[in-house]
Amino acid sequence: MKHPLLPLSETMHYILLSLKEPLHGYAIMQTVEQISAGTVSLAAGTLYGAVENLSKHRWIEPVPGETGRRKVYRITQEGQRILEIERSRIEHLLSLYETRDPHEKT
Amino acid sequence: MKKRRWFINLLKEEKWLNDRLAEGYACQRVGRLGGYTFGPSSRKMVIRLDYRNRMSAEKYEEYKLTYADFGWTLLKGNRWGSVQYWQKPSDGRDEIFSDAGSLVAFYKRLTQYALSTACLFFIYAYVVFKGNIITALFNIKASYLTEGLWQMEGNSFWRAFLFETPFAMLRFLPTWIFAICFLTFLYSYYQYDKQKKKYA
Repeated sequence: MKHPLLPLSETMHYILLSLKEPLHGYAIMQTVEQISAGTVSLAAGTLYGAVENLSKHRWIEPVPGETGRRKVYRITQEGQRILEIERSRIEHLLSLYETRDPHEKT
Repeated sequence: MKKRRWFINLLKEEKWLNDRLAEGYACQRVGRLGGYTFGPSSRKMVIRLDYRNRMSAEKYEEYKLTYADFGWTLLKGNRWGSVQYWQKPSDGRDEIFSDAGSLVAFYKRLTQYALSTACLFFIYAYVVFKGNIITALFNIKASYLTEGLWQMEGNSFWRAFLFETPFAMLRFLPTWIFAICFLTFLYSYYQYDKQKKKYA
């Protein structure tokens, strides 16, 4: 069966992409805002819940050895694999956008 | 300014609090039994109520830090499964949830909380009144134990009746309080469920 978190929600998708570099909670929000060109503003509760959910499934993990009060997260191998699955799903969708464009049929 | 209110529905409580803040106040303290302390505020403030199930000390620390980083101040809350009262100066980023998924999860936590509390009240009333809830609710006369009370007349009736009323109330009021709590929690459950369906 397909994983219950797939396809990824916009929130989860952006968080996974942002965590290709290690970041703590607030920095995740700032990075997501930046890479989404300002279209995705994560609120505190949504960010907390998403990070909790993603760590529960071991798609992200706390970086060991970080001593600050704030936990620093990064994407795991499993998380990378999920992004690959999503990539082929989106690429397929995109190809449909190209081939099924009514303007090109004429 | 101190105000005393009692809410069962979290959404109504949040609305009432924000109505007070809109009058130019900031909330300074949320007491244990529905006591709220407000002070004048030059900045427009906003309050959001969150509900969280029991979590580990480590998780709760992370939860609080995340909210604090976004500018929220915790007015009241603990990690044992409780309402969390968050306040911050209003700046256009005044929500604690920014997508449908997290809102649905929030309302789901609320429905579970309301339903389990309602069940607790029901079970408690059922045990205390040995299953005779309806009798306990409507047979108030049975709460008066003075022998022959209802055969008395005139002054002696009223004296005995009024004398026993406080004791009788101790017997029949708890059932009514249980029943009212049960129904209000059940009603909250339906209201949360309605909100949940809006986003699901």
